[in-house]
Amino acid sequence: MNTVKEANDVLLDCQNVWKIFGAKSSAAVKAVSDRGLSKKQVLQDFDCVVGVSDASLQVRRGEIFCIMGLSGSGKSTLVRLLNRLIEPSLGKIVVKGREIAKLNAAELRDMRARNIGMVFQSVALLPYRTVLENAAFGLEVRGVPKDERNETARAALAKVGLSDWISRYPSELSGGMQQRVGLARALAADPEIILMDEPFSALDPLIRRQLQDEFRQLTKSLGKSAVFITHDLEEAIRIGDRIAIMKDGMIVQVGTAEEIVTKPADDYVAEFVAGISRIHLVKAHSVMRPVADFKTSQPHCDVDALLKASPEADIGELIDITMRSDRDAVAVVENGSIVGVVTTRGLLRGVAGMPAGAPSAA
Amino acid sequence: MDTSVITDLFDTWTDDALGWISDNGEWLFEFIRLILEGTYDGILWLLELAPFYVIAIIAGLLAWRLINPVAGFLAGVALAFCAFMGLWAETMSTLALVATATILALAVGIPIGIVAGFVQAFDRALEPALDLIQTLPPYIYLLPAIALLGYGPATALVATFIVAMPPSIRLTSLGIRMTPREFIELGQASGLSPWQMFTKIRLPFAIPSIMAGINQSLMMAFGMVVIAGIVGSGGLGETIYGAVRTLDIATSINAAIAIVILTMVLDRLTQSAAHRAKAGVR
Repeated sequence: MNTVKEANDVLLDCQNVWKIFGAKSSAAVKAVSDRGLSKKQVLQDFDCVVGVSDASLQVRRGEIFCIMGLSGSGKSTLVRLLNRLIEPSLGKIVVKGREIAKLNAAELRDMRARNIGMVFQSVALLPYRTVLENAAFGLEVRGVPKDERNETARAALAKVGLSDWISRYPSELSGGMQQRVGLARALAADPEIILMDEPFSALDPLIRRQLQDEFRQLTKSLGKSAVFITHDLEEAIRIGDRIAIMKDGMIVQVGTAEEIVTKPADDYVAEFVAGISRIHLVKAHSVMRPVADFKTSQPHCDVDALLKASPEADIGELIDITMRSDRDAVAVVENGSIVGVVTTRGLLRGVAGMPAGAPSAA
Repeated sequence: MDTSVITDLFDTWTDDALGWISDNGEWLFEFIRLILEGTYDGILWLLELAPFYVIAIIAGLLAWRLINPVAGFLAGVALAFCAFMGLWAETMSTLALVATATILALAVGIPIGIVAGFVQAFDRALEPALDLIQTLPPYIYLLPAIALLGYGPATALVATFIVAMPPSIRLTSLGIRMTPREFIELGQASGLSPWQMFTKIRLPFAIPSIMAGINQSLMMAFGMVVIAGIVGSGGLGETIYGAVRTLDIATSINAAIAIVILTMVLDRLTQSAAHRAKAGVR
């Protein structure tokens, strides 16, 4: 089965998916697919609410994909479409090469139990079960013998640092610990994809940061893919390899944190990223000037004598290097040759979020 | 227009129907009577096997474990007091009646409640029937029962069974319907089969409500079992009925005290069991 690896190894492929809620949703779906009605028109003509509108995204193996949007943007609906907790009105969702809309009830259960884990904002730990029994829940459902599933669950709980709590009940745990159990429950079942539905939103900021870092590290070390829903752009930037921004049921922009911050697709995204610190997002390659350009403006400066940085160095590192140097510029080196120069002006421009091509008097 | 004709017609029709049922269904009612009295006799035999102090100590220990030491002491002493009043045999036969009727009511009521919890249409159809059963004066159930099953504990059991069943149906159905949405979603996302969803999610969440239903059924049964003294149920109900007829106030008060003691002990025991179930599902 795994002999033919797909291009880029896309685990989860969501193609032009719509979800329309309402009494006349089937008529609305027809109108959308035949005439390409907009969200507004659907509401006017059919009194139906469009939850998700024409969403396409791809999650690759080992990737953490964040979907960021405010409440009502359709992000929670979208994540539920991915494991068919909600049936899509239109479009195609392919998980591991199989279209999930075509699975029968038993196949769908099997896919949910084996391939797609889910972690909820409400955590949903069963109150009448111990932490260990909760973590073993997914395996229990699959009929794994008790000793075996307890061992796996114990290992999963160890990964999230809860080894000492296995025989406690959820009510004895703090919110952050409960969410760790939720994560352990999802990991114990060993799925390829984990859907995270705003898992850390209800936690206080310090615990949230801690869990964000732990989650990213754990997911990466285990080679899992994740779809992470959040309303917090900073969280998305901290966790996600790529980020999709949703607004009114539509995906407005998909890209890496740097792409979204430096090249927002529209005013809405621009407004969002306005308050985000660029120091660790903007990299040398997007603020540097061509060497020739630099030489013409500062003919007396010896480029080879400048301190050096890689194109992937972020503004924070570049500032450090500049401070250590007696010059106002840093050379960007790739494969042994100097590909550009970052000046103080360039750094300031990067911090302020001005486009790289903006006119400069220097 | 003289409406009494219609009423008379209805009455004749009812009487005829009842007569027909008792003539043609005799074997069936004989069978029902055998089952009811067999269960009752079995439970009573078990309760009479041990001397009164053993039963009192068992009740005391249960109350101690489930509630607290003081409750345990009180329950034991209170039950022993029934024996000191010379009403031990009656108390035990009342307990056997209540236990038989409640067990049967739960055996029928809980499965019906579970189905009603899942099938909303069934629940809606059931609602008026349960309302009717609970609002009719309980005496009503004694008459057809006595016509079909004769004088004795079987009639008392049927009437008690009917009265005790509605709370267990209602509260079971409620418990099944009240499963928190996020746990249903968890079940779906974890790939649970419908049966697993029932046994691993819905039923555990319904347990506190079902336990409350058991407690309510028990209380209804206690209320009915005294009234059923009229049809020769035996036990404290019949003692009270006999004392009322001969205006023997002292005996009627003794028997009433014994009923109160028995009711309170069982109420507290089942209530604390229900609370524990609830504490488990915090």
